[in-house]
Amino acid sequence: MERLTKNKNLQYLNSLFISIFASLLIGALIMIANGRSPLVGYGALLTGAFGSKYNIATTFAKTVPLVITGLATAIAFRAGISNVGGEGQLYLGAFAAAYVGITFTGLPGIIGIILAIIAGALVGGAYGFVPAILKVKYKVDEVITTIMLNTVATLFTAYLVNYPFASSQGKMGGTEMVAEQFRFSRLVKLSTLNTSIFYMGIIAVVIYYLMEKTSYGYDFKIVGQNSIFSRYAGIKDKNQMVLAMVISGGLCGIAGALEVLGVHYRFLQHISPGYAFDGMLIALIVKNNPIGVVLMSIFFGALKTGSIAMENSIGIPSELVSVIQSIIILFIAGEAGFKNIYKNWKMKKTANSKVGEKIV
Amino acid sequence: MYEKVLELKNVSKQFPEVLANDNINLDIRKGEIHAIIGENGAGKSTLMNILYGLHEPTTGDIYYNGKPIKMTSPLDAIKIGIGMVHQHFMLVPSFTVAENIVLGTEPTKRKIFVDKEKAIESTKKLSETYGLTVDPKLKVESLSVGVQQRVEILKALYKGADVLILDEPTAVLTPQETDELFKVIKRLVDESGKTIIIITHKLQEVLSISDRVSVMRQGKMIGTLDTKDANEKILAEMMVGREVLFNKIDKKHIENRKHEEMLKVEKLRARDNRGLIALRSIDLSLKSGEILGIAGIEGNGQSELVEVLTGLREKESGQIFINGVEISNKSPRDIRELGIAHVPEDRLAMGLSKDASISENILMGNQHNEPYAIKGIHLNKSKIKSKSRKLIKEFDIRTPSEDVLVGNLSGGNMQKVIIAREFSFNTPILIISQPTRGVDIGAIEFIHSQIIEKRNQGCAILLVSAELDEIFRLSDRIITIYEGIITGEFKEGEISKQEIGLYMTGKNIQI
Amino acid sequence: MFKELFNLTLLQHTIRTATPLILAALGGLLTQQAGILNIGMEGMILLGAFFAVVGSYFFGSSLAGVALAAIIGMVIGLIFALFVIDLKSDEFVIGIAINMFAGGLTVFLLRSIFGVKGAFSSPDIVPLPKLNFPFMDNIEFLNIIFNNHTIFIYISWILVIFIYMYLYKTPQGIWLRGAGEYPDALETAGISPRKMKYTSSIACGVLCGLAGAHLSLGYLTLFTENMSANRGFIALAAIIFGKANPIGTFLATLLFGFFDALGVRLQVVGVPAQFTQMVPYLATIFALVIVTKRQMNKGKKNKEEAINLGE
Repeated sequence: MERLTKNKNLQYLNSLFISIFASLLIGALIMIANGRSPLVGYGALLTGAFGSKYNIATTFAKTVPLVITGLATAIAFRAGISNVGGEGQLYLGAFAAAYVGITFTGLPGIIGIILAIIAGALVGGAYGFVPAILKVKYKVDEVITTIMLNTVATLFTAYLVNYPFASSQGKMGGTEMVAEQFRFSRLVKLSTLNTSIFYMGIIAVVIYYLMEKTSYGYDFKIVGQNSIFSRYAGIKDKNQMVLAMVISGGLCGIAGALEVLGVHYRFLQHISPGYAFDGMLIALIVKNNPIGVVLMSIFFGALKTGSIAMENSIGIPSELVSVIQSIIILFIAGEAGFKNIYKNWKMKKTANSKVGEKIV
Repeated sequence: MYEKVLELKNVSKQFPEVLANDNINLDIRKGEIHAIIGENGAGKSTLMNILYGLHEPTTGDIYYNGKPIKMTSPLDAIKIGIGMVHQHFMLVPSFTVAENIVLGTEPTKRKIFVDKEKAIESTKKLSETYGLTVDPKLKVESLSVGVQQRVEILKALYKGADVLILDEPTAVLTPQETDELFKVIKRLVDESGKTIIIITHKLQEVLSISDRVSVMRQGKMIGTLDTKDANEKILAEMMVGREVLFNKIDKKHIENRKHEEMLKVEKLRARDNRGLIALRSIDLSLKSGEILGIAGIEGNGQSELVEVLTGLREKESGQIFINGVEISNKSPRDIRELGIAHVPEDRLAMGLSKDASISENILMGNQHNEPYAIKGIHLNKSKIKSKSRKLIKEFDIRTPSEDVLVGNLSGGNMQKVIIAREFSFNTPILIISQPTRGVDIGAIEFIHSQIIEKRNQGCAILLVSAELDEIFRLSDRIITIYEGIITGEFKEGEISKQEIGLYMTGKNIQI
Repeated sequence: MFKELFNLTLLQHTIRTATPLILAALGGLLTQQAGILNIGMEGMILLGAFFAVVGSYFFGSSLAGVALAAIIGMVIGLIFALFVIDLKSDEFVIGIAINMFAGGLTVFLLRSIFGVKGAFSSPDIVPLPKLNFPFMDNIEFLNIIFNNHTIFIYISWILVIFIYMYLYKTPQGIWLRGAGEYPDALETAGISPRKMKYTSSIACGVLCGLAGAHLSLGYLTLFTENMSANRGFIALAAIIFGKANPIGTFLATLLFGFFDALGVRLQVVGVPAQFTQMVPYLATIFALVIVTKRQMNKGKKNKEEAINLGE
């Protein structure tokens, strides 16, 4: 009776690859329907993502916000609280960093940068605190509140950059540039890849360490898996949930700050094309595994970069990639269901032969 | 000769992991009140769900009035004339009484709209016919539990039930409501000729209301007898007896041993999840080096007692002392630090995370402590691993590795993981609830010997079990609990299994 | 200035802005009542808007556009139901996947079918007909507010009543609500809650498709990228604010439509619109907190009552 499946991760990896492969196959079918050769299409995508130094740099530049928001979502999900509000936390964090960068122009570079990042983290974390408290105190569904708070944040920052903090060039939907010493330097010519990737690296290592190697990460995990068990064993489960959400919000805030300091050098009204949403999907796909988040972010970054090259060189619209990504999500979300249906079907077939077996 | 209204022949039901019903034979006579009793997990509910078309039997046949029937959904059961009153009422809380009663078979006007007047009218008529007063226009959520049950009964009658199955009908009722319900049941049989099947584990009720009684245990039908030939002792034995009798366990009597009072409970009072009084006034004292067994039929306050003692439930009044320290309003963590370890009754819900590995489950409680966490932060994988391996070996957990997810283990091995973890805290007090429920015989022997070992080392052990054999085998002292009151206290050997039934059913006292 | 802001045209704009919200919210409240939180409405609306343009452009008829939007809505609703109900996937993950799918697919098809980026408009797209009631022409109040709207506005109002009747007066509607509140009660009464959930999800897809058709064939006849512009989420807010009751939700959409229309006008006179635009979201969060707080108090009261009974 003991089914000892040690290699559950391996099994999951298996389904993941099947899902990705199936989605790419559907993408290929769409290309064929569109009158293009999938081989040429995916070839262009691959070279577009990794074909040159510039392309590789662009792929990694796109990876930075995905990794951070992905880790942010993963840590909250792991503690059993769903942070769908990353986008709002990112916007507010980005604005806070820009505010520091245009206000404290007298600060030396490194201190200024750290201050800006901390400001982003604090504001993002505080914005994550609100839905977390509403959840543990009033049992208000955090999925709904965080979705609602996203739009509130984007509207609020839109107001800020169009009114009190409008750039002197007029209402162009952006703030003034941050002071020179706040700007990260670019690493590869023409690409937006900048030193924020090092910050990302540090964050990834710290979060990985926190989630996988420490007692705090352990507490998060157990609370997320079975909160009654955690309470029974002496963990304060509600506090853990709030803490995880604040860390998650803080990370999204940092992701926003890095976009400001590394890419745009100012806060823009539309600074994120949904990074936190992509990051959340990445976390869902890899089941909140931090290493998985990093790898899947690179994959998503490559898809995004490659798709633009694919569009430029052979004219397949780059949005095909969004379609493929969304189908991956559907397959992954349905994975357990597909397996269950298969299992039930199999059980029905063998049910009769099993009667009479002893109870275990 | 009696007229058989319902008959089951060799009915079995196999679930993926368990054989819930094993070759059941049962006949129900027309116009009788037939009680089916058994402990939790004996297979009563599965049997009832088969009779109500919610489960299809894997093998076996069912006959209604002598004709074979096949039911694939409750709709079939309803059509045949079988109605069910579920333990968790199947009523939509925001709907009115009338809406709930006609749900699924609403009367309509112009074939489109629900005819509310007619629904209310029918409800009124129905409630008058059977003498079950309800206000058809009230929302169900505003009704007391007793009235909700009345609605549930009316619902079954509205659908034309001749055979009415009541699943644990008194579990949620107050004593007054129970009396009221029994009057209703009697009336339904005497005046309307209905047949009643009542599922319960309360022996007294069985004796007071039923005509015949069938006993189930571990998925099997143990036997059916006329209630007039039954008494509590006989039924209790049939319910809890084990097929395999244990060898006498070797309990060392350590002479001149100091027995210090470790845990003291005074006038403890607490409520259950529904807000009803579960513990009326409990006094007990637990000493080091002894096993105090709490014997009682399930649902008499044992669970609540354990929860209060471990900080998982608030008490209403009274005092608890651990080693002389009062523990009111202390968190589970504080209580653990004061020296209580706890093996909970519900393994999967409380004792484990089945998505975590064996070593992660074993780590629980020590995750912030040296040497398992360096400076309380960095998890020391090798120390955790070596501890897990040691415990796996010591407690005979059958697994190829400590990295196996606990959800993949058998019930017995899961239980050993919990026992290994809680015993390894080496606390002076252990609270152990249902240590061998759903555990195979071999593992039971092992777990029992571990508990004795702990006692011999001087641990104070509070043992709660629904298995009388287990209580008798392990305890140095036994107390009986009934309806939240301690009804008796005995030293080992002072009372027989036969006699203790009286105390477990409150027969010796007046409440 | 007050007169410039608050006049009959504001009400007219309120009604126009509210219409796609009403349609989508009516769909969403059906799933909500059946116990499914539908975050995918945003994507369903977007797909509806796009395929309405496709149908109208290629078949030269707005009816064809509407039909195509409804069909695509139905298909998406069916897929949503399949994953959420039968495969037991997380409803919010599927919702987000549908939104992402819709965003990608519409832009992809915009480029591959029409060969344009950003927006597509053409005189060949046939708009929805507008209804003129001659008797209103001379009464300024009625004329501005209620006359010369697209047919969808009137349909949406009729639908509010229709769905209200369905949910509260017909057996099927009662079953649908029962399926959401307590599926086991339905199951034991011999009605399949699964069927009711499927029905709600498909109906939601169709209604969101129609909402999209109104966006792209109503007052503007064009499709732009991300045309739904958060309307799916505002509709969700209206559902929660209106407690998934058709009348309450209808009033909530009017309220949110009003603030949206007001914001547009405020912007014209130089006042930031963002705060009026925030209203639906903040109002919903407050409503949620108040509702749960009230429920908790009620729970406490019930417990006290139970305690009294127990003694």
